[in-house]
Order: sequence, then structure tokens, then C-alpha cells
Amino acid sequence: MMQLSHTWLLDENPETRFQAGAGQTYRMVRALLRNPLAVVGLVIIIGLLIVAAFAPVLAPYSPIESNLGARLLAPSADHWMGTDELGRDILSRIIHGARITLMIVLMVAVISAPIGLLVGTVAGYFGGWVDRVLMGLTDVFLSMPKLILALAFVAALGPGIENAVIAIAITAWPVYARIARAETLTFRNAEFISAIQMQGASHTRVIFRHIMPLCLSSTIVRVTLDMAGIILTAAGLGFLGLGAQPPLPEWGAMISSGRAFILDQWWVATMPGFAIVIVSLGFCLFGDGLRDVLDPRNRTR
Amino acid sequence: MIDLKHLSIAYGETSVVKDVSLHVPEGGSFALVGESGSGKSTILKAIAGQITNWTGRIRLGDHDLQQGRDPALIRLCQMVFQDPFGSLHPRKTVDTILSEPLSIHGLGDQNRRVLETLDAVGLARKFRFRLPHQLSGGQRQRVAIARALMLDPPVMLLDEPTSALDVSVQAEVLNLLKTLREQRGLTYFLVTHDLPVVSFLCDNLGILRQGELVELATVEQLKQQRFSSEYGNELLSKSY
Amino acid sequence: MSLLNIENLRVSFPTEQGPVEVVKGISFELGRERLGIVGESGSGKSMTGRAILRLIDKPGIVTADKMEFDGLDLTTLPNKQMRALRGARISMVMQDPKFSLNPVIRIGDQIAEVLSFHSKLNARQRRARVLESLEAVRITDPERVYKLYPHEVSGGMGQRIMIAMMVILEPDLMIADEPTSALDVSVQAQVLDIMDDLVTRTGMGLIIISHDLNMVARYCDRILVMFNGEIVETCAASELANAKHPYTQGLLASMPTLDEHRNRLPVLDRDQLGSV
Repeated sequence: MMQLSHTWLLDENPETRFQAGAGQTYRMVRALLRNPLAVVGLVIIIGLLIVAAFAPVLAPYSPIESNLGARLLAPSADHWMGTDELGRDILSRIIHGARITLMIVLMVAVISAPIGLLVGTVAGYFGGWVDRVLMGLTDVFLSMPKLILALAFVAALGPGIENAVIAIAITAWPVYARIARAETLTFRNAEFISAIQMQGASHTRVIFRHIMPLCLSSTIVRVTLDMAGIILTAAGLGFLGLGAQPPLPEWGAMISSGRAFILDQWWVATMPGFAIVIVSLGFCLFGDGLRDVLDPRNRTR
Repeated sequence: MIDLKHLSIAYGETSVVKDVSLHVPEGGSFALVGESGSGKSTILKAIAGQITNWTGRIRLGDHDLQQGRDPALIRLCQMVFQDPFGSLHPRKTVDTILSEPLSIHGLGDQNRRVLETLDAVGLARKFRFRLPHQLSGGQRQRVAIARALMLDPPVMLLDEPTSALDVSVQAEVLNLLKTLREQRGLTYFLVTHDLPVVSFLCDNLGILRQGELVELATVEQLKQQRFSSEYGNELLSKSY
Repeated sequence: MSLLNIENLRVSFPTEQGPVEVVKGISFELGRERLGIVGESGSGKSMTGRAILRLIDKPGIVTADKMEFDGLDLTTLPNKQMRALRGARISMVMQDPKFSLNPVIRIGDQIAEVLSFHSKLNARQRRARVLESLEAVRITDPERVYKLYPHEVSGGMGQRIMIAMMVILEPDLMIADEPTSALDVSVQAQVLDIMDDLVTRTGMGLIIISHDLNMVARYCDRILVMFNGEIVETCAASELANAKHPYTQGLLASMPTLDEHRNRLPVLDRDQLGSV
């Protein structure tokens, strides 16, 4: 019988592949939980996930329906974060906005990280002209300011969340490519790579099975740390009116619309601002903790 | 089994191996000794197909090696590397490392083969699902030897296989290498700077200096400390 | 009078399973002699060297009943004085010169920097002393080497430069941790000869920490054999062949020789040794 116990997980002599894998994960999670800041980050991210998942249940009001009779109310027991210029409850909009934010962040990560990883490992592994071409391309993208590039793409594709996601993904991958390439270079001549080549492994196999898993952890760390930046860029696009379109409750767009009342009705712009700050911070803290756990340089033998 | 004819290797303008010819019979054990920079590792890499710009002839069995990655090479020879910490993928378990060559070549019955090879290199089965960092240096080197054995090659290239190990562990690995050679009739091509190891493991040796083969000798000459070249005797005097 | 006097030195590191002792209460004395500390990896030999210089990093805990260097109590000495002592009176040669030299500073300037920390010489005097010390480690053209960067010299040269850097202040004690294991055999002998020569000439104490029994036997007066954090054998280098402890005997037997006729090498039985 297999039991998921502490001793089973920490067994130095696992009997199956599954046990070996589970044990490794368990050790990592334990190390992560020992870092208080990472735990704070994790709590924030889990909070965001819960809020996004149960938005319709948690939100006291509709995020879209306007109620012109209740315009610009200050925070109170009825409206904890006040209402906006159309009388919509800001708390409800922020809660629903969590879904949009989470979707943008995940989509960007899912699109840009694999592209960056692939470009970087291929460039680093083959070197020579492949490297020069791929890295030249990467440099072109890197040399352009992120927000401006995203703006240009949105302008070309038309405003909207999907296009904002594509635009941000296009600006995000070069960083991962650079990191993956740098990491690949450190072990492309390692003996374990020579060994597997001598056993007849194809280039594809070496890259996907041997090099990528080693670059994965630093990419994950970097993506987590970048999530804050992605949220900010998305908010920036929203603020400029090029991201999510009204009446979608996107946090950046909410700040933008609150801008007109910033002096008299501070809460309209400030509340979504808080949301952005807290969630960004959560990803940063978690990313830092993750780096401490995953970074092979910190690992003791 | 291994036949080098007029092998020369140059990196750009500097030639690192100059016109080396030697022969190792099937089942023989040959050592190439020299100091760092003598070109001994370069020759090994050329045989292993990791260097492409050599001239001359490299013959393994009855196969003339092509420049670069020669597919025939895979079944002919495998290599054991110097650094037991650098030659195993840090995120793969012993099991994955050993079964990978089988998967690449579509060989079945992986479970049995992995267990058999673990037994052959004297590694307890409980280590099968460990990661390299959970093993000692000697155990890692056994895994590296096991990996080289998975495809049953007739030739083993050994790149200073024990120089990174403790003395007592070195003895275990040397014994293992000797046993494997006797059991399987393997041909060894060893690169080292350690003359006592040659005395234990090899039949013949070549002394390399700055890319040139200065002497081919038998292990008897080594044991009696009677090399014919001046440089060979210089190496002897520095060995303690 | 002894230069270094150590009693009951312990080094431990906390782990998930509780503290692990890597040095388990060792005691020894050192006069103006050459002492070899030999052991395999994990024997605690390097930790012993680092503990003497108080170079054990944070989670590690060092305790000793007595750790005296020339009358100074190393366990209670303030950090500032300890730093002054390191380099000026006790110096350490590390395993690989590549990691010990700063790659972007010229070699001569790096050695001179040591002088500016620990002496009051002016720039010209410092330069003269540096050239002198390079000559002392048998570098024939010190003027040229002075201007080189670390990547422009060979391993053996790098290690000689490290030694020059260590002896320039004429320390009373030099601790060399695997000083030659990154070097070729022929260069090893040269570097060791230079160290030997310096020690005899200046009368400093020398501790060589190594895994290489033969090398230590050749260059030291006395040998400590460490196993599992304990000293299992102390003997004169010339008496090594008559070692009493089974571990030492096992180590000696397990080494192949130039004239090797054994079909199998004897292997240490670690389980049995653990209970000795």
C-alpha cells in the first residue's frame, strides 16, 4: 500500500518514479513554506485565485449595471470601496476585475515563456549563425520600450483584451530567451550533454529533454517576477484605453476613469490602484521565494 | 580494435595533436599519458566524435570514422568522463539516466536491463530512483559507467575516470573497471596523468608531449621504470 | 613553545535532522614545523583549516576548549584583530588560484594591495617588495608578471603568485588547503618545492591539508590522518608506512603503485571502520 506520509515522501531510497518525483516536490514546498515573505506572496496569489474563481458569489453588486442614483458615493458599510461615476460598486468591479487580470497574466505567461525558452535554448545550443540570427531578433525586440511596442501592436490590431495579451506577450518573450540562452551556454559543453549526444540522442531530444528542464526553473522564477510588470503593462494599456474595453472592470481602465475625480472622489482611482499594488507585490514576493528554492546555485548538496 | 593513423588536430593555427599513430588490439587496454595541454584529451574527443576537424584516419573495429557525429560510433564506443559531478544530468534519476539510451534506440525490456546493469556495476537497487546529488562521488561514477555499458559497446573511452575520486573510492572503481573488462572483453582507451593507475589497469601506454607521441611502451617497462625516452623517465621521476 | 595549540575543536552544521558534527573534538599542537592533515572528502580536514582562521560561515558552529596562536586566544579575539591576523601572521593558500585571484586586477597590484592593508610602506616600496616576493617564488621575470592579468598565466604560475601573495607579509603560519591538486604533476613538485624552501628559510609553521598521502609524506615532518571528523592517526612522515590505525593502513593499501602486481586493490570496509 502506498501512503502519502512524511517519511514516505522523504525516503532516501524511493521505490518508484512517482515516489521520487513526489518527494522532490514535497522538499521544495517545505523549503518554500519556510520563507515567510514567500508565504505572504503565496497567500495573496491564492487569494486572487479564490476571488477570481468565486467572483459572482463574492461580489455584492453587479460590476456592470449602472445606478445613476448612487454616483460617486464614498466608502461606507453598503459600498465598502465606494461607487464610481456610473454608480457601480467599486468592490464588485475589483472582484470581477481579478478575473481579467488573472487571465491576462496567465495568457501572457503561457504564450511568451515557451517562445522565449525555445528561442533561447535553440540559440544557446547550436551557437554560430543560428545564435546570431535568433539573438539579433531578440535584441530588436528588447531594444524597444515595452509599453510603446505593445501600444503599436494594439494600435495595429485594434483595442481589446486579446490583442493586449498578444501585444504584451510579444514584448515579454525576449527576456526569457536571453535568460534561457545564458543558462544553456553554461552547460551546453557539460559532460552530461556530451554523454547523451554520444548515445545517439537527436538535437531535438537534447534540447527538449535535457536542456529545457534545466532552464525551466529560472524561467518560471523570472515569469513570476515579471507578472507584476505584466499586470502593470496591462493596466497601462487599460489606462490608455487600449486594453479591456468598457464596461469591463479592468483595473487599469478603472484608474483611468477615476482620474477625472481624483481630487474630490479619491477612492475611484485609488481602490483599483491598491488592488494592482497588492497583487503585483504578491507575485514579486512569491517569485523571490521561488528563486531561493529553485535556483540551483543556492542548493546544497 | 582502435587504430589511429597519422592523426593530426589543429585549432585554427595551433596544432594540438601532431601525426599520432597507434594501435590497440581487441580486448586490449591502452593508456595515453601526458600532462595537461599534451593533447591527450583532444585525441579522446576525436575518437568520441566530439571534434570535427581532424585529419588522418581513425578506425574502430572495421569501421573508418567519419568526421563529426558518426551514427555508427554510438554502438561502437561509449565514454566515462572525469568529473562524476558534471557527467550526470542534475535533475534526472539514476533510472532515467540509464533507460534513456534504451529509449533512444527503441530497445525493449528496459526494467530488466537497468536492473542488470545496476547489478553489474555493483550499485544497490535502492539507488535506482535517486538523483545524482543524493549519491557519493564513487556511486556517481558507477552510474556513469553503467550508462556507458547500456548499449553494450565493445570499446570504452575513459577520461581520467578516477582522478576526481578519493583514494579508497578510486580503488573500488578501478577494481570494477578491471572486472568489467575481464567479464565482457571490453577494449579500454584510457587518458590519464596517473602512472600507478596505468600500471594497475593497462597493458600498453603511449606518452604524449605537446601533441607528439614520444614513446609507445608496455606496462612492463613502466613497472620496471625503464622507458626509452627521456621525457618518459622525467614523468616517472615526478610521479610519487 | 608551540605556535598553534588546539584542544577539543568541534565544528557542526545544523541540518533538518539536527546538528551534524563534521569535526568531532580534535586536539593538536603545531611548532615551527610542516604538518600534513590528510583525509578523504568529508573527513573534516578542510573545515579544520577554516576553523583555525575563523572562516566557517554562518550556520556553522565552532567550539573549542582552547585555540591559541602564539599566545593569542583565537576563540575570543575580536573580529577586527582577527582580520589583521589573517594575512599578516597566518595566511591561507587555496586550492584553485583561478578562484582566488580577482580577474580584473593586475597581478602585481593585487599583491601590493595586501601590503597596503597590513603595512605602512609607500607605493614605491610596495612595488619593490612585490617584485622581490615574485622572485622568491622563482618567477624569473617579475617585472613582466607584475603587469599580467590572472587569466594570462598558467595554473602553476597562478599558484606561485598566490604563494607570493601569502608570504609577502612573512607570516608565522601558512595553511595550504590542497595547494596543488589543480596542477599538473610536474608543476606540483615545483610549487611544493618553493613552499618547502620558503618554510625552511623563514622558519614559519606550515599546515598542508590534502587528500594525497604520498605528497604529504614527502613534504611534511608530521602527519595527522583524519577520518569522520576525528584524528585517527598521528605519526612522523617517515613512519607512515608503519601506520597503526586500520583506516590509514587501508588507505595506503588501496593506492595502486607504479609496480602494481595485485589483481584487485583492497577496498576499505567503511562499515567496519565506523565501529572502530
